[in-house]
Amino acid sequence: MKRIFTLLLLTLLFSGCEKDDICTEDTTPRLVLEFYDISNPANLKNVVNLKVKGEGALPNVDLGTFNAESKIKLPLNPTTNSVKYSLILNSTSPSANEDFLEFNYATQTVYVSRACGYKTIYQLNAVDGVVQTNAAIPDVSWMKNITIQTNAITTENETHIKIYF
Amino acid sequence: MLLPLKMKHISKFTFSILLVLLSFLSSAQEKNITQKDTIKKDSMAPKKERYGLRVGVDLFKLTRSFYEKDYRGLELVGDYRLTRRHYLAAEIGNENKTVDDDRVNFTTKGTYIKAGFDYNAYQNWGNMENMIYVGMRYGVSSFSQTLNSYKIYNPYPYFGEATEISSGEKFNGLSAQWIEVVAGVKAQVFNNFYVGFSFRINRLMSQKKPDTFDNLYIPGFNRTYNGNFGVGFNYTVSYFLPLYKQTVKAKKTEKKK
Repeated sequence: MKRIFTLLLLTLLFSGCEKDDICTEDTTPRLVLEFYDISNPANLKNVVNLKVKGEGALPNVDLGTFNAESKIKLPLNPTTNSVKYSLILNSTSPSANEDFLEFNYATQTVYVSRACGYKTIYQLNAVDGVVQTNAAIPDVSWMKNITIQTNAITTENETHIKIYF
Repeated sequence: MLLPLKMKHISKFTFSILLVLLSFLSSAQEKNITQKDTIKKDSMAPKKERYGLRVGVDLFKLTRSFYEKDYRGLELVGDYRLTRRHYLAAEIGNENKTVDDDRVNFTTKGTYIKAGFDYNAYQNWGNMENMIYVGMRYGVSSFSQTLNSYKIYNPYPYFGEATEISSGEKFNGLSAQWIEVVAGVKAQVFNNFYVGFSFRINRLMSQKKPDTFDNLYIPGFNRTYNGNFGVGFNYTVSYFLPLYKQTVKAKKTEKKK
């Protein structure tokens, strides 16, 4: 009997310590963009000083400048159905080139767990999932070709959009 | 605020009484072993034991309903003595609980029934009718959940922090089944009145979950964890209705003669 009680007490203690209050699962995903070489479309190409800014983003948050990277992740807005990003290549040099990308999507709320609550997943529109526009003072767009790999944005473990330049 | 505090004190007080009783039980058990031989040698009148139905209520749930704003619950307990050591046992209850977690706020309402057996491992001394028991239950619960509000987890709140979204969505017709392993004590405090407590470890066997939510609390089973395990506790006061008496079998000695 004593053994049973000790066992019960131990189990009670340990079950009370289970860590399900910390969110460790994958939640709301970001949009994953991958850059490729237009002259050699099978090869990844690193961006140079790519400055990224979303319209309507919080003023105190900065996504920063990407350099020597071929993959970037952009947050979408779970409370709207559209987000517009400014992407400036060679942002530090006089030859800076600004292009805009507008992402249009539908959102869906999905339950994750007690600790995480819910997450939002996105579905890029079939017709106007990605819309490219040029800078206010039109120049030559640096993005030559954009392809959507998958319209369903559910995880960050895959590339959603490929950009060739 | 006065009343809930009082309640807590009362339950604390009764609990400590119970603990003292428990220590008496264990010391009595030791005495029993030493006295066995003398009892055997003595030609005592055959011992008669009472059989019957014991019904009671879980004070833990009852008092909690008073001092916890987000909780309403009632559990009735009962057992029927089948053999010297085996009891048929059951609990039936109803719970209404609102859980306010960081990311979800929901209300669970439902009814449950647990049925099984208890095995009294305690060798009573004299006319005592106490129990230190282990047992098992099969539990079934039928309930509904209302998602009051939730938050969307966004690790990159670039366009603004997620706000709480009120929902009010109700999920009906949910159910769960589980197995409990019980260990507890029942002590007769005065004529036919018993107090007892029990600890339970639950293992979920099957459940019907909502499509867009989870069963984070199940009436009777309590809070669910990431695995299928849960824990429970009750603290009961019950009344014993004696139905008949049976002589403790002295068959072995008769055969010897």
